[in-house]
Amino acid sequence: MAQDNLNRDQATARIRAAVTQDLLSGRISLLLGWQKGLFWWRSRPLFARSQQDLERLVWDSFCAVNLSRYLPEELSIEERVGILVKGCDARAFHRLLQDRMLDRERVLLYGLPCPGMLDYRLLAEAGVKEAEQMLEEGEELVIQTGGGEERRPRTDFLLEKCRLCPHPDPVVYDQLLLPPGEPWMDPASRFQDLEARERPTPAERYAYWSGELQRCLSCYACRQVCPACSCRECFAEQQEPRWLGKGAGLNENMLFHIIRVYHGAGRCIECGECQRACPVGIPLLELSRRLAKDIEELYGPYEAGMDPEAPPPLLTYRPEDPAAFPEK
Amino acid sequence: MIRYIQESRLEELFRILSRRGPLYLPLAEGPSLSFRPWSEGAPVDLKTVNSTVSAKEIFLPREEAYFCYRRAGRELALEPLEQEAANAVAFGLRACDLRGLEMLDRVFKDQDPPDGLYLRRREQTAIVALACAEPAPYCFCSLFGIDPARAGGADLQAWWHGEGLCLKALTAAGEELLSSAGELLHEGPAGAEEPPRVETGNFGLKLEGLPAGLRERFDDPVWEELYRSCLGCGACTYICPTCYCFDLEDFGHQEKGERYRCWDSCMFREFTLMAGGHNPRPTRKERVRNRFLHKLQYYPERYGEIACTGCGRCLRSCPVDLNIVQVIRALGGESR
Ligand code: SF4
Ligand code: SF4
Ligand code: SF4
Ligand code: SF4
Repeated sequence: MAQDNLNRDQATARIRAAVTQDLLSGRISLLLGWQKGLFWWRSRPLFARSQQDLERLVWDSFCAVNLSRYLPEELSIEERVGILVKGCDARAFHRLLQDRMLDRERVLLYGLPCPGMLDYRLLAEAGVKEAEQMLEEGEELVIQTGGGEERRPRTDFLLEKCRLCPHPDPVVYDQLLLPPGEPWMDPASRFQDLEARERPTPAERYAYWSGELQRCLSCYACRQVCPACSCRECFAEQQEPRWLGKGAGLNENMLFHIIRVYHGAGRCIECGECQRACPVGIPLLELSRRLAKDIEELYGPYEAGMDPEAPPPLLTYRPEDPAAFPEK
Repeated sequence: MIRYIQESRLEELFRILSRRGPLYLPLAEGPSLSFRPWSEGAPVDLKTVNSTVSAKEIFLPREEAYFCYRRAGRELALEPLEQEAANAVAFGLRACDLRGLEMLDRVFKDQDPPDGLYLRRREQTAIVALACAEPAPYCFCSLFGIDPARAGGADLQAWWHGEGLCLKALTAAGEELLSSAGELLHEGPAGAEEPPRVETGNFGLKLEGLPAGLRERFDDPVWEELYRSCLGCGACTYICPTCYCFDLEDFGHQEKGERYRCWDSCMFREFTLMAGGHNPRPTRKERVRNRFLHKLQYYPERYGEIACTGCGRCLRSCPVDLNIVQVIRALGGESR
């Protein structure tokens, strides 16, 4: 997390300088990055084709959108695409690479060690309404409210996807633009929070998840944003045969989510974009992480998106794998 | 006459109102807030501005059945479905929710013939509007001439005052709600005859030139840029108070089943996919353009008013921060 002596403006300037060169020289024809959104607490994707576009580039504490999701489509238009990658964007890149959704040679990856992105909801709860009320000092946040000044660890305000992220530094890049940081979550203990919230019986699990999933709108933002959801036609919308009704009932919602997460089992890179995208705040990351935990328990240590040569456990067979079917 | 109720006694009011029929209130569901039928102990939240999903779902639910069908041999029987109890109350709608309802009314109610399902819910539901004491940072309803403290089309206007709610009847149905509460209500405090005025920001937008100028801008390069980040989900349309597209489906099999309608979204590829495989809106570009031109051009051309209430929901919920404000700005509707 030590972004050393570089503050965000300096870091942004350094990134801009590096990518400007490549864009102007024609090494890349498009740069995928972030620009400021409508509010100070949001940054949105930037599709830069000119130096003028690049003036809008930002690297701040709100660049949560995972950019790799855009690569397959942009590569169908552009010759060579440059992309800024945080830890989760980089693992998403591996996901797409392994799923043969893109051509490694046509992508230039600029690595950005990620400090973790902040959650406006948590900031607002702590009384931060204006950008000026909040100062980032290394791993601390200095908050000015009516009541005075308060110092809190930055990790208190991370998006859940970031708080749980064991690999904030990109695992793949062509060029690292900022100094590597210090992770705040040990990969070996990354399921501890799940163990603490175990729901031992099927009835408890059913009750919990029906409570959460009944409010699903079937808007499919979780699917659209997901780097592991790569089907050209989702079963949810297939007409012939029809698997899923279009209605909003719990049955339909459950079926959609069960198939969605199972399809991601051992492939999901735990970027948490599904949860961040969900308009009604369903804890989708927990659902995916529960499966990731099962996969580890059944097949041994595995983290998707770390190594593109390591095939996902459910796509391989080893004689020592646990028997999938009970003996007759 | 203004009536008053202590916040601590609202639960009792809800109990009385829910005796008449379903009482819809903004209920917390995890971090989300939606209008749902109240029941004892439900987590009501009348403070947060505003609900995650707009109040349209009271009148145009996510899913609603028309009838059952049953087939025996060559006979086909259609049976109407059990109707939900009459005399509903929708409590806690914001001024922008009411404006949204006005827009849906033109589409479903003020037609010949009107839409039966919508009309029934609309006519049987009394509406209690709640003034916004403090708009959210996303709110920009003032741009559309909405006064957050004075909702048009409600039966009763409520506003916070001290430790309770002031209530002012606007229609006979509103009077009736008040009298049903009887002893629970006191005389309103002196000096609280009217809800305090509130204004929202407007993000520096101006609406002159919209929609007239848009006809020529169907092929404007601006759409090429705007659509790129869009993921093609349905989040923005499902939460929006003025989006009303739906689909018809059957649930069941040849012998027996239900015909229902449910929300649909122009942001989905399948929305315009035709038999035979042709799609007149083949990419996200056409879909994004349609969503925003529907708000800014098609609806106003037909009904005379821009189909946005400034509720800010798409500002809050779009996962990639693509929203109506950005679009209006990109189309040049900015005064700064
Ligand atoms: S993003 Fe949320 S509401 Fe939308 S389909 Fe996924 S779980 Fe449902
Ligand atoms: S504008 Fe945003 S919410 Fe709407 S479909 Fe596109 S990504 Fe989803
Ligand atoms: S377009 Fe956005 S701001 Fe306007 S009514 Fe719809 S959700 Fe609200
Ligand atoms: S947009 Fe206006 S009416 Fe709607 S919640 Fe905000 S302030 Fe209230």
